[in-house]
Amino acid sequence: MLKSFLEGLDGLTLECEARRGQACSLKDLEALRVEFLGRKGKLAAAMGALAQMGPEDKPAAGKKANEVKNALGSLLESRQAELDAAATQDALSGFDPSMPGRRPAAGSLHPITLAMQEICEVLTGLGFEVVSGPEVENDWHNFEALNMPPDHPARDMQDTLYVSDRVLLRTHTSPLQVRTMLSRKPPVAVIAPGKVYRRDSDLTHTPMFHQIEGLLVDRNVSMGDLRGTLTAFVRQLFGANTNVRFRPSFFPFTEPSAEVDISCVMCGGAGHIGNEPCRVCKKTGWVEILGCGMVDPNVYRAVGYDPEAVTGFAFGLGVERVAMLKYGIGDLRMFFENDVRFLEQFS
Amino acid sequence: MLISLQWLREFVPYTGTVQALADRLTMQGLEVEAILDPFESISAIVVGRVLECDAHPDSDHLHVCSVDVGAGEALQIVCGAPNVAKGQLVPVARIGAVMPDGMQIKKGKLRGVASHGMICSERELGLSEDHSGIMVLPDSLTPGVLLVDALGLEREVLEVSITPNRADCLSVLGIAREAALGFGLPLSMPKLNLIEDVSAGHAAEAVRLEIADPELCPVYRARVLTGASIKPSPAWMRHRLLAVGQRPINNIVDVTNYILMELGQPLHSFDRGLLKGGVIRVAPATPDMKGGMAITTLDGQERKLLASDLLIWDAERPVALAGVMGGANSSISDASTEVVLECAIFRPGTIRKTARRLALPSEASYRFERGVDQVGSVFALERAAQLMAETSGARVMAGVAVAEPKPWVDREQIFRIAKCNALLGLELSPEFCRVTLTGLGCHVDDSDPVCWRVASPPHRLDLEREVDLFEECGRVHGLDRIPAVLPKISKSLDSAQTSDTVFGFLQALKGWAAGAGLREAINYSFVGADDLDRLNLPEEGRIRIANPLSEDQNTLRTEIAPGLLNNVRHNLSQGNGSLRLFEIAKAFREDAASDTGACENSRLGILVHGPRHAQEWPWEQGEADYLDVKGLVENLLTHLRLGPAGFVLDPGHPYLEPCVRVELAGKNGVALIGRIGRVQPKIADAYHARKDVWLADLDADLLRELSRAVKPAFVSLPKFPPVRRDVTIICPADLRAEQVEAAIRELKPKNLESLVLVAVYAPEDKADAKPERNLTFRLTYRHADRTLVDKEVDKEHGKVLAGLPQKLPVRI
Repeated sequence: MLKSFLEGLDGLTLECEARRGQACSLKDLEALRVEFLGRKGKLAAAMGALAQMGPEDKPAAGKKANEVKNALGSLLESRQAELDAAATQDALSGFDPSMPGRRPAAGSLHPITLAMQEICEVLTGLGFEVVSGPEVENDWHNFEALNMPPDHPARDMQDTLYVSDRVLLRTHTSPLQVRTMLSRKPPVAVIAPGKVYRRDSDLTHTPMFHQIEGLLVDRNVSMGDLRGTLTAFVRQLFGANTNVRFRPSFFPFTEPSAEVDISCVMCGGAGHIGNEPCRVCKKTGWVEILGCGMVDPNVYRAVGYDPEAVTGFAFGLGVERVAMLKYGIGDLRMFFENDVRFLEQFS
Repeated sequence: MLISLQWLREFVPYTGTVQALADRLTMQGLEVEAILDPFESISAIVVGRVLECDAHPDSDHLHVCSVDVGAGEALQIVCGAPNVAKGQLVPVARIGAVMPDGMQIKKGKLRGVASHGMICSERELGLSEDHSGIMVLPDSLTPGVLLVDALGLEREVLEVSITPNRADCLSVLGIAREAALGFGLPLSMPKLNLIEDVSAGHAAEAVRLEIADPELCPVYRARVLTGASIKPSPAWMRHRLLAVGQRPINNIVDVTNYILMELGQPLHSFDRGLLKGGVIRVAPATPDMKGGMAITTLDGQERKLLASDLLIWDAERPVALAGVMGGANSSISDASTEVVLECAIFRPGTIRKTARRLALPSEASYRFERGVDQVGSVFALERAAQLMAETSGARVMAGVAVAEPKPWVDREQIFRIAKCNALLGLELSPEFCRVTLTGLGCHVDDSDPVCWRVASPPHRLDLEREVDLFEECGRVHGLDRIPAVLPKISKSLDSAQTSDTVFGFLQALKGWAAGAGLREAINYSFVGADDLDRLNLPEEGRIRIANPLSEDQNTLRTEIAPGLLNNVRHNLSQGNGSLRLFEIAKAFREDAASDTGACENSRLGILVHGPRHAQEWPWEQGEADYLDVKGLVENLLTHLRLGPAGFVLDPGHPYLEPCVRVELAGKNGVALIGRIGRVQPKIADAYHARKDVWLADLDADLLRELSRAVKPAFVSLPKFPPVRRDVTIICPADLRAEQVEAAIRELKPKNLESLVLVAVYAPEDKADAKPERNLTFRLTYRHADRTLVDKEVDKEHGKVLAGLPQKLPVRI
């Protein structure tokens, strides 16, 4: 009896082994499992004989029955793994990772905005506060209060677009110096970014462009402070190795006045790239980047500050110039055509 | 300003290179923009000697010459000039040389005879207008030498950019002073050797001077010359004038120009034979009541005059526009022999006004506007008279006719060295400051060591305040040598609200727009009036530019749209069809209440056109429409924690159709945020847009104001589950979704948490019925404190189902 019992169990294993390959789906496999291992399955049926066995045979029969149960289980499991693998294979067969993604529309900021934001971030980081003001200005704020009386030759430096005799489009962001000092007591540390206008249009000038003006007024501010501030500023903007050069110049609203050159961003100040002369700095190794100076006492007088009590500095730079240098844009006119192919390069 | 190095060296013994001089001047505040070679275009011309000169066998005017040019065999050159002759030294352009007019000399044949070069006339070399024959050179020259070297022509000219404050540097003398200062060299003036001829008479008797207003003309001096013969100036003077960009005219006029360039003093020479009454009067123009008064200037133009123009008169009539240009009625001509040489100072503002109004800037007016050295003018007059006598053979009358109603007065400033160092951030020694100021020509009185008294020289009109002297000390020391320090300022850290700026808000708005897939455009603030007319925008309130560069830039934009529409035109012409643009900029309107007469309002413009997605697959294709631009606006309002907004049809808009007002309810009633709409196809057509152009024009200032008032506030998350019910309503196609929504809300179903439109279906129109559409709304019910049971939701939802058809012409 024991022998036939054991043979019967071995037969189950063999049968299952033979048939499991025919199970081609998880459903088939489940049916096979029920047939062999189910409550009313073949193993259960065979186990029925165990009850009638004598105590001497029971341990061996029981042991065998367990072995067969495990064997059947692993046979079915391995088939399940095969089927799972096949199913995964099927599921991935249509998957193509190289298909284009569903991209939301990409937006972008104008390069002038990018440059302006970067400049403002550096300067606000240094402690300056941003102020804004009108673009249509009166003559007094734009010129007179800035030490440029009517019929002063310095007015030639800025060809002006007029609305009427006394009203014009601001030629620089410097009127914000005046407006700020009129409304605040020193100390003052502000920057004024914005659009400015000149009656000038050629390859290197557009009638509208962007400037950022800086003003710092307090007791005992010196030209050394101006140098320190601008050196820190241009190094943050153009890199720590940037060299700075101050050249004496003239602006009616600062005294002394200087123009600031930085070592050329293209050739690093060498004046040439390899054997080719550098076109950005025209072989000089320097590019002009901003104008600055110590606020003229006449400006303090115009706004009601005491020139004996306070000193300070002002500076201004062109944003287009910075954007051209930073992004390598050669043609000023590109800025205002708003060609999408230009704009998308700044995404 | 062009400065000849050769000329400069007559004033200062500078022996260094032109580049070192340029660098030094630049760092002293006189920016050298370029170093030029004025005769570069004739630098290939050599001196040749005509060895043989025979008549051309086949021509009655050509000559066949054999010319020794120093090296190799003599060249055979065919020459047509009547004055060519054996033995002459002549300028020769060899094969390959390029002439000033761009022509290259090639080997050629003239009537069968080979010619290996060209013998040049002065005109061909750009040296004068003389083309009567070839230029014949002095016999002392050597064949083969470069012409520029043989004639000693200037090869190094500095182009210096002079800032408006440095009128003193508008001359060789001025730049020489700076070079002397920069290199510690002595300055020497040309020796005067003016010979007066008493027998010719006395200047003061020959011309009587009258000055109407000392403010307009503090000094007028005149020398009188007699028996001049007008002819070309000597070559050295002509060549020097050419080198600095001045066209030689004749020996009298050239001397005035020479002195102008050399000493910075503008002079004018009158033909005394044409002056009436022996009088020179300086007085303003006297236009009659009708404004009629004019003078013909020596360029032949008639100039209308105003009472603000200063004139030089003779006994009867105006003879010059003072300081600007001489009159045609009294100018030096080839027949002149009697000369009155004027050397005066005029009020800068007056000269500037006239020169600008008449658009007549001259070398003279440029200097008068900026200020001329009243003391130095004496020397200029003497030197000019001497040169004129030398070049024209004229005799100089004794003495000078002078009227100086307002003599020069020295200006004195205090100078506090401590303040100077504090301002510059330097520790300059008293010795350095004294040497510097003295070197500039100042007189320094340092008897009080703390507060010096400094008199500035008459040629430095810009040194009128203490701070101007500080600048000089800094400039001479080198601004570039000031140690850089970071300012320690007493600025308060209490900067509450400083991050909340208009600029910051607009930048954040740009950040939103870029994140929303829009590309930023920046357009000029001005457009053409045509651009506004095309959009049917009102004329009223526009701000016009009085002096626009062009007609398409003559008006400030009153709306954001014109610039963006121009961008559509540009991009479509470039084949960029899918556009999603934004711009944040000001719109300008007249506003009498503003101190500038303008109301400036920041606008956010959004424009979409063409395919909704620039990318095709896998997006579903479609053209951008109202819902795209409205969605952007809704997204923005959500971003700013504003809304929900009302979207209200706004018929009759000048250029949008349909046009929808975007409104927000606020404390002060309904605020108009802006408008959304489609550019009328006829208008869009003008921008070459065949597809719909959708625009949103929003008030960025208002958005800032409203959003600043809103702070995020937390609401507890719901603890109990919602019950959702959908209802599909069949309604006439012209019934708006918001009407259905409002009707549902009016039925006040209890516990209704939200109501959203989830589906729209427009069944095909049946011929006999009015068009309809199906709107499916999802109603979400929820109770804050317990779970709702189906029965109570059914009851509330039933109210909606039953109530809607009674309120609206709809079926459920």
